Amino acid sequence: MRRGGIAAVSWRVLVLILALYFLLPFFWLVISATKSTGQLFTSFGLGFASPWHLLDNIRGMLAFQDGVMGRWMLNTALYSGGVALASTLFSAMAGYAFSKFEFPFKTVLNLMILASVLVPITALVLPIFLILHDLGLINTYWAVVLPLLVNPLGVYLMLIFWDQGFPKALQDAAYLDGASEWRVFWQVGLPLVRNGLVTVGLFSFVSTWNNFFLPLVVLSKGSLYPVTVGLAIWNSTAQTGASVDYPAILVGALVSVLPLIVAFFTLQRYWQAGLTAGSVK
Amino acid sequence: MRKLWLILAAVVASVAFSQTVPALPAYNGPAVTITVWSWVPGLDKAVAAFEQAYPNIKVDVSNVGSGPNEYTKLLTALKAGTGAPDVAQIEYDFLPNFIDFGGLADISKYAAPYESAFVPWTWGQVSPDGKAVYAIPQDTGPFALVYREDLYKKYGLSVPKTWAEFEANAQKLAQATNGSVQYTDFYSTFAPWFMGLVWADGGKLWTHSGNGWTQSLNSASAKKVIDFWGNLVDKKYAATLPDFTSELNSALAKGQITTLIEAAWGPGSLASRLGAESAGTWRAAPLPQWGTGGTFASGNWGGSSDVVTSQSKHAEAATIFSLWLNTSPTALALNWENGGLFPAAKAGLTMPALHDTSKNPSKFFGGQDVAQVYAEASAGVPTDFQWAPWFLYANDNFNKYIADAVAGKTTWSAALDAWQQDVLNYAKGQGYQVSGQ
Amino acid sequence: MRRRWFVPYLFLAPFLSLFLLFYLVSIGYAVYLSLFVQRGIRPKIFTGLANYARVLHDDQFLSSLGTIARFGIIQIPIMLLIALALALYLDGLRNARWRTFFSLSFFLPYAMPTVIGGLLWGYLYSKGLSPFNQALAPLGLKIDFLGARGLLWSLGNIITWTWTGYNMVILYSALRGVPAELYEAARIDGASNAQVVRFIKLPMVAPALALAALFSIIGTLQIFAEPFVLRSLAFVPTNLMPNLYIYFTAFNYGNFNYAAALAVVLAVITFVLSIGMLALLNRQRSRL
Repeated sequence: MRRGGIAAVSWRVLVLILALYFLLPFFWLVISATKSTGQLFTSFGLGFASPWHLLDNIRGMLAFQDGVMGRWMLNTALYSGGVALASTLFSAMAGYAFSKFEFPFKTVLNLMILASVLVPITALVLPIFLILHDLGLINTYWAVVLPLLVNPLGVYLMLIFWDQGFPKALQDAAYLDGASEWRVFWQVGLPLVRNGLVTVGLFSFVSTWNNFFLPLVVLSKGSLYPVTVGLAIWNSTAQTGASVDYPAILVGALVSVLPLIVAFFTLQRYWQAGLTAGSVK
Repeated sequence: MRKLWLILAAVVASVAFSQTVPALPAYNGPAVTITVWSWVPGLDKAVAAFEQAYPNIKVDVSNVGSGPNEYTKLLTALKAGTGAPDVAQIEYDFLPNFIDFGGLADISKYAAPYESAFVPWTWGQVSPDGKAVYAIPQDTGPFALVYREDLYKKYGLSVPKTWAEFEANAQKLAQATNGSVQYTDFYSTFAPWFMGLVWADGGKLWTHSGNGWTQSLNSASAKKVIDFWGNLVDKKYAATLPDFTSELNSALAKGQITTLIEAAWGPGSLASRLGAESAGTWRAAPLPQWGTGGTFASGNWGGSSDVVTSQSKHAEAATIFSLWLNTSPTALALNWENGGLFPAAKAGLTMPALHDTSKNPSKFFGGQDVAQVYAEASAGVPTDFQWAPWFLYANDNFNKYIADAVAGKTTWSAALDAWQQDVLNYAKGQGYQVSGQ
Repeated sequence: MRRRWFVPYLFLAPFLSLFLLFYLVSIGYAVYLSLFVQRGIRPKIFTGLANYARVLHDDQFLSSLGTIARFGIIQIPIMLLIALALALYLDGLRNARWRTFFSLSFFLPYAMPTVIGGLLWGYLYSKGLSPFNQALAPLGLKIDFLGARGLLWSLGNIITWTWTGYNMVILYSALRGVPAELYEAARIDGASNAQVVRFIKLPMVAPALALAALFSIIGTLQIFAEPFVLRSLAFVPTNLMPNLYIYFTAFNYGNFNYAAALAVVLAVITFVLSIGMLALLNRQRSRL
């Protein structure tokens, strides 16, 4: 603290202000979740209003369609967890191949993967719908999971982490020890790109958690919906004249964010350690 | 007195009903399962009753979201050639788009005999050419005036019967409150709201004849309506807060706006959006008229129908379900109680559940029989109003021009002219035979 | 080497098989669609490149490209600079609790479900209720966040809000991946903090930064959800941004064929723009 104390403190304050600004949407959500319908529109949005209605709102959320929220949350957890695990592994494997091997068509493949990211998903929904239909997967869990397992950005991220975190010398040493290709990848390499895995996994988890368009189009069974689609459909009834419970929807939205925060905290630990524990930093 | 009137109306209606409407058809086909996409809350209860009445038809119902969410899915499935449901809920103004797309089955073979079961204008919506039938009318949104009775008393306003009185009220209120309370709100982002007001004036936006269309988004009637509201906005008598937003809800809850032009589903929506705030202070009255002494007229905003898609292999069963869902007393009562559907069926307008003043929306309206006001409004909706297949484009671009008028960058009628031209160019570009009027 | 030729393909197989199925086949189908004109599900007519010719004269689409270019040139650098500064700050921060708090704060907006965006932004950006406007009220200021002038700035704010944390995480995890020996060596040589940043951290984080820039360009050209959500609150032109226009063309107006052509053109434009980034990325990689 002594060296450049004032500068350090003013940086801290600046970043703190910025952090509070970034937290505004979250504050608003937390505060709104404690309000009744009337309070939502009559009280200051970033201040609590008394009395609290958090419990009523939670009750309202749980009562909606015989507790379908729990089902949606479970679905979302399955989709996100499954996609995050599998797509991170697939991305790590593909990134490994691009980083550590020379093979025919490497550049072509590389460019093809890049080019594919450039076509907006809006144009691919119809073809994906058709493919899933031909496979008989419309209205199944697989319809949501399979397309999301392809994570080209994850492959590129992993490529960089492989380049940086797993030097050629180390790889060659492992070969000299007689390790198989899979062992070199799995036991020697993967632990060294832990940061990359955590990053790609987190992104994949969060983007699946918040994915809306794909499940909307490929699912039409309420029991399979992820929480995003469920909440959106619930919220859209507000414009039809049917009664709608905004506070319960807001609590639902808040509850749907909480697992992401937990996931972030859990994964945070891996970053904190850095690559080599006990570094000088 | 009102009760007596009601009973009388019910008797008259039921006599009329029994005379002209054939009983619902029996289903003699093989056992089938039909899929239904609908955003009506609590539809599963109606479905259970239907399956009892028709044991050979199983109904698999999904809520895939209201409006745009469902249309996105439906268009995708229709274009893909597979995956569309047998029955789907579609709003009236979107019907020609889906008809033109080739996505709807003509069900006149099964449905035509039931025309007289529905309020006449709703049949005009589902059967634009009077021959083919593309949907069964479900719910409606005829217009009425809703207002804060407490604020009217406080500021000495009387319920306006004409638009001239409406404007006089607005002026009086602005003077009394120095502009701190606004009389009404202009839903500038909702083209169908504006279109409904043109409809109420007997105006037309599109007409179809032979192979061609005529479009008149800037007709004399449309200009009369927009100039009237534009004047209110310019003078700050009317706010321009979009419907369903926090800001409008807040203004209503705080009593900063006294009067709205709302469709039949509006009171229920207000009751659920505002909760306890301003509960009991609202009242409904007939839509103001342009003159005195003429026949009473209203317009319509929203409402929906049930279509049978062109992919359905069970058109007969699907039509029977749609008819049952929208004419049987059981279903009409359930749809109103669970989903707030203001019925298109004549029988629905007189059912006791609709006029139950102990529940919302009537409760929110101080126990007034709100539905009665809206039932009379529905009777006054002109029957020959039509939409075009490119309504969606007109809808999406209305505010492009109106926002300029709100900001004072152009005049209100010039905004309509520009809108008309833009939409006309689009429709021609899509290959439609259309001329401006 | 004794390594067998098929080994890399085995590593690629799971990704590549799904990639071929869901991306390449889909893109192929989209390109196929773009060669036809078909109203709804009526008989389709092969028109070759006619849809593409139409794209080049489509004022609505061209104006959306202009908007997105102006938008990206301002928003992307701002966002990446903030993300880089934050990543460097966090990396140098010794207090683990603050580090956790800060990284979580900046990442949270990315995790907020877009579903409630309408309610959230309806509050933060409304003329009357916005806390910003309430704070500015004593100065006699009232900002029309969603008016014609404010719309793009407000959108830029939302997108910066959402994606800064995402980019920060990429850069931060790249920094944490720098081997500790490098820093030790620098300290022994007596390097100052600023020198460590300038000569070690920045070069080490450069590939990740190039990648983040690449992602941002692609992401910007495909912005959809944020302007879509704002449509319930204010007038957002259907052609404000290219992807929004593509969405409306396909899913509102039902013209999937023309939308496919628009999407292919957008992809080609994105490709040209990202080639530069990609070259930069490869140069940096080859240096390592």
